[in-house]
Amino acid sequence: MDYRKLDEVRGSAVPLQLDTIEAFAAGRLSRREFIQRATVLGLSTGAIGMVIAACSSSSSSPSAAASVGASTAPSAAASVGASTAPSAAATGGVIRIASQKPVSVDPVAMQDLGGYGITAQSFEFLCTLDKGGSNIAPGLALKWTPNSDGTVWTFDLRQNVKWHDGSPFTADDVVATMERLVAAGNSGLKGVLGPGGAVAKDANTVVFTLVGGNGNFPYLVSVFNAQTLITPKAYVAGTTLDKVPAGTGAWKLKTYNAQTGATFERNPDWWGGPTPLDGTEFIFFDATGPMVTAYQGAQVDAIVQFDVLSGASLFNDPNFSIIATEAALHRQIWMRTDKGQFADKRVRQALAFTFDRPALIQQLFKGKAQLGNDHVIWQGYPYFDSSVPQRAQDTAKAKQLLSDAGVSNLTATLHCGQLLEIPDLATLLKSQAAQAGITLNVAVESLDTFYGAQWCPAAPKDPPCSGAAELGIVDYGHRATPDVYLNAALKSKGIWNSSQYNSPAFDAAFKEFQTSVGVDAQKAACTKIETILNDDVPIGLPYFYNYLAGNSKKFTGVYSSALGQMFFSAAATA
Amino acid sequence: MARYISRRLVLSLVTLWLLATIVFIIANVLPNDVGRTILGPFAPQESVDALNQKLGTDRPLIVQYADSMRRVFTFDYGDSYVTGQPVLPQLAAAMARSAKLAGLALFLTIPIAIAAGIFAARRRDRLADRGVVLLGVTSSSIPEFVTGTILVVVVGVQLKLLPVLATPPPNADIPTQIRYLLMPATAMAIVYFGYIARMTRAGTIDVLQSDYTRTATMKGLTTGQVMRKHVLRNALIPTVAVIAVQVGYLFGGIIAVEKIFNYNGMGQTMLFAAQRKDIPMLTAGAIIIGIVYMLATLAADMTMAWMNPRIRLDTEH
Repeated sequence: MDYRKLDEVRGSAVPLQLDTIEAFAAGRLSRREFIQRATVLGLSTGAIGMVIAACSSSSSSPSAAASVGASTAPSAAASVGASTAPSAAATGGVIRIASQKPVSVDPVAMQDLGGYGITAQSFEFLCTLDKGGSNIAPGLALKWTPNSDGTVWTFDLRQNVKWHDGSPFTADDVVATMERLVAAGNSGLKGVLGPGGAVAKDANTVVFTLVGGNGNFPYLVSVFNAQTLITPKAYVAGTTLDKVPAGTGAWKLKTYNAQTGATFERNPDWWGGPTPLDGTEFIFFDATGPMVTAYQGAQVDAIVQFDVLSGASLFNDPNFSIIATEAALHRQIWMRTDKGQFADKRVRQALAFTFDRPALIQQLFKGKAQLGNDHVIWQGYPYFDSSVPQRAQDTAKAKQLLSDAGVSNLTATLHCGQLLEIPDLATLLKSQAAQAGITLNVAVESLDTFYGAQWCPAAPKDPPCSGAAELGIVDYGHRATPDVYLNAALKSKGIWNSSQYNSPAFDAAFKEFQTSVGVDAQKAACTKIETILNDDVPIGLPYFYNYLAGNSKKFTGVYSSALGQMFFSAAATA
Repeated sequence: MARYISRRLVLSLVTLWLLATIVFIIANVLPNDVGRTILGPFAPQESVDALNQKLGTDRPLIVQYADSMRRVFTFDYGDSYVTGQPVLPQLAAAMARSAKLAGLALFLTIPIAIAAGIFAARRRDRLADRGVVLLGVTSSSIPEFVTGTILVVVVGVQLKLLPVLATPPPNADIPTQIRYLLMPATAMAIVYFGYIARMTRAGTIDVLQSDYTRTATMKGLTTGQVMRKHVLRNALIPTVAVIAVQVGYLFGGIIAVEKIFNYNGMGQTMLFAAQRKDIPMLTAGAIIIGIVYMLATLAADMTMAWMNPRIRLDTEH
């Protein structure tokens, strides 16, 4: 331990940052967790590198710090440093991208991945995506700092940034954007930031005063909360990208056709310097199958998202580079805890013990997924506790649990919607459950029918989802924090609580998680959450799967989030 | 003729009313929530309620129906529930794309199929006739999506001779547009070849056996003169009726072909609208396709009357 270096960073850190540094120094955070957490809390790349170097056994060697620069926050360094120089030599050319057809390109109201991907070409976030694809990095904000309890966050904005029409970007634009988002009830900011919560301290500084302490706030104004793209002060809510194409980003909208596609041209005045490519061309699709065919027919160069089943051939294509972003994307197998055959915890545990999780991951995702442990705390979260024992298939134990519960010949209908791999998952679960003597009848329905009739029927309204089927599989997208999963799907009377789970112990643990801002406190709360959910099993959660995107190896420098945003500012022809 | 057209137009209005009513009933028969369908299953209920109120889909069905009918007959289809943009320009663009694809498919199909039908009829029960009949039955038995997929894999992906996507780049010239549309148009043409060729063959055989054809031959006219002056005009009448129906069908959109070739014609537009419960788009699309059907059959009737004056359009004569 190099205390001199460590103290140097400690001396300039605010309490929340200090808390994270101490947790890493004491070995309570892994290097990856530390980097992720420290970035969120606004520690600079240099400071993160110094802490890692100080805490590593070879603290005095430059390799540790160097490796940080290479693997942790390269984008931060690149973003900051790129303000005066292009990120790569100009190569010219246009990359053609297969994208979902956007439903809406209104930055404030959009709800679909197609819209997220298109708008993020011209508009930018305060905190953008790092090139690793899983963490945040400086975007329009150069740095951010919390106060001691995480209730006030100060964002220093990048200077000399211009809108596409040449007008200067200022703190007033950020404040106006936040007011619009709060007024629109943005799901990430709701209950976190209120009206008037964002104030311009000066032209380049915005101070956010939150409703309560929040250690994850930078995530909520980042690429992971897709609607928080910064729009001009004069922007009117409801205006779509094609009507006011005035962002600050690397690409200027050239043409837009809601049915067929969009083209973008280089923004020569971008703060990151001219992009290597001349432009991008988005081609809209309704399904992933034709996207793959279009790539094979040499008509597109990149695919924004595909699934393992329709993109199977891409895995064997030596000329295609797959971007597999680890994400919190998952499926929940809900079981009604309040009534019916699964009301007894032992029956729910029995079903969970029939899951052959590695086999599911291999068969459904060709290994591009991580094990789930019947709780929603994904391994990528810095507060994930790996000490909770991983549940594995144990048919004998499942049979014993059923016997203990006095259940024989358990027969149930497993409801699911027609979406991606879910019907196949249902079929595999059926065969695995059969090994323990459980008979599952799979009922696959159209998504509309499934959501409306099985997952969370509108009536009865109180409590929400109390008309749900006793067993089913529902899909959940990626979230930068697990709050939505915990609050909506598992908290008592949560709006998506199909299992009708009602556990005071869980509710208390969730409240503890919500109100904790330090990493140790968050991790302690998550340990309780994981343990409770793993034991109660209101939901089975067999895997978290990777978000899949990719591009032809004719291009380099393409990276992607797990929310449909693909970034081409550093892309170049190989 | 004028009275006939007037009567057809009045009947068309009744048909359009029925069509719009059926679309409305189908769109509302399932207990589904428009706001929920548009915003998705995870949107807060307050947002869903607000959207339903904004769209007017929380009003009683009878009020919505009256509003829908008013829009149908004033050609004021309003804005799409999903995109918030006016419906008609979006449908016009989709219709123009469908027209290009259907036009090319018909251009490829009609001359070849008619020629094949006549060729087979003149060689009735010979090997050539059997060959054309077999080819016709086979081609019309293979669905467009199978033909389309085979074409994509072989011609597009393996040989890379033609683009696998049907949408040409913006501002593409006509030869480029034809190049992009050639594969989907071929997939459609293969299916319709069978229908049209067999209908032409049957009509031609019928006319060749008629008394007036025999008389013309016995008068000493050459085979070519008999075919041109007496056979073709009469033999093609049923074929024209078949083509008219196919025109409406092709313009209505071949969803499978459009999906395979990622072509945003009427088929994909209507499917998207149906999936999202975009009732203004769905209603307007159905009406437009209905109008195309009616115009196509009207044109066919008039063409048939021109080809054979014995067909009287006005029943009073």
